[in-house]
Amino acid sequence: MLKSWKLKEVVLMSLFAVVFGIVYLLFLHVANIWAALIGPLAYEWMFGIWFIVSIICMYIIRRPGAAVLSETMAAAIEVLIGNAVGPRLILSGVIQGLGAEAAFALTGYKHFNILVLMLAGIGSAVFSFVYGYFVSGYAALDPSFVALMFTIRVLSGAVIAGIGGKYIGDALLATGSLRGYAIARTKKGDVNA
Amino acid sequence: MRNLLHDMNPSVKFVLVTVSMLALAFFFNPWTPLLFWLGILLLQLTMSRTKWKLWLLFMLPFSIGAFGYLWTTVVFGADTGGTVIWSFAGIDVTDEQWARALSLALRVMAFSTLSLLFAFTTDPVKFIMSLMQQLKLSPKMAYGIMVGYQFLPVMKDEFTQIQQAQRLRGAEMKKYSWQRLLEMRRILIPMLAGAVRKAERSAFAMEARGFTGEPRSAYYRPVRIGRTDIWMSGVFLVILLASCIGGSWLS
Repeated sequence: MLKSWKLKEVVLMSLFAVVFGIVYLLFLHVANIWAALIGPLAYEWMFGIWFIVSIICMYIIRRPGAAVLSETMAAAIEVLIGNAVGPRLILSGVIQGLGAEAAFALTGYKHFNILVLMLAGIGSAVFSFVYGYFVSGYAALDPSFVALMFTIRVLSGAVIAGIGGKYIGDALLATGSLRGYAIARTKKGDVNA
Repeated sequence: MRNLLHDMNPSVKFVLVTVSMLALAFFFNPWTPLLFWLGILLLQLTMSRTKWKLWLLFMLPFSIGAFGYLWTTVVFGADTGGTVIWSFAGIDVTDEQWARALSLALRVMAFSTLSLLFAFTTDPVKFIMSLMQQLKLSPKMAYGIMVGYQFLPVMKDEFTQIQQAQRLRGAEMKKYSWQRLLEMRRILIPMLAGAVRKAERSAFAMEARGFTGEPRSAYYRPVRIGRTDIWMSGVFLVILLASCIGGSWLS
């Protein structure tokens, strides 16, 4: 998969993974404190934050695999920094990334408009929820409570990861530093790409 | 003895930790995670050089989170039947429900302890090298991650620098932490733009020095799987099996 990639694209993902790895850990601690007050629901509405790197990287690099690889790298960086979620994070990173990747794959990696990005956020939310259902034992919770958690997570994925990811990507494009990447090339040609 | 966990091959440890976590997810009785938690603690107490003060600091937020899990599962738990052991504010708590809530909370504790065991006994650089050598991670990815890891302290400096630069130019700091959280994009965008430039420069430097990203057959610093790994895998699996069987038997 990495054969056709330029090294600078891989390193870009890695550096984004560092920035967002720190942001992720920051929010993890905020969420943990919240969780004591309102339980697992605390994590749900901020879940979108943890999907954002895959959407930003795919929006910029536009190659198959950008979503899953960047999310995995961010998880790996989080593990390298050292935290109490540990190696399990890598697995959840892969799964969240696959969710976003699935949405981009569905559209054939051709469209990167706001709807597709939101769909990718939803994809991450759905994949991570299925995994969380298993690992965190949501089966022990009341079905209507689980449904509420699911709805909030999907909304968070669409809004925070989808819309937020596009916003950050566009803001970054405006700084002019992305000239060497796919996002800048297509923007010049046609607006809808 | 105190070096055993540190000397293990990181990939072997990684696989063991992941397998243990997935296995634990199948158990909903409180004893299995409790036994496993105690087993892992014992392992870390006897076979590692852990800074326990730091360990406690890391565990704190997760203990708080575990408490959240405990009470939500009690209040919002699925109907499981069983006898009511106590009522509180109109909520009847059955013994089954209590056992499940306890199980989920202890699971959080067991997972966190296991993760900290990994974090406290694994050298990050060796971990990535081992992923590349034992688990066939692509060198492009492996060295890409290493570049990011090396930039970590630089990024920290840059964060303070941007913050100070903005304050110098009169950008006001918001009073409340949630307002500051929303203002994060003001720092995030310059950070990311800087990251893009750094990525380009370091990728260029790597290629200029002949890095192609092709898989290799020999490494400058080989990471191997040794006899310690076989023994320690045995110990891990014994703890896992004992807590799975013991937990099911006790409940």
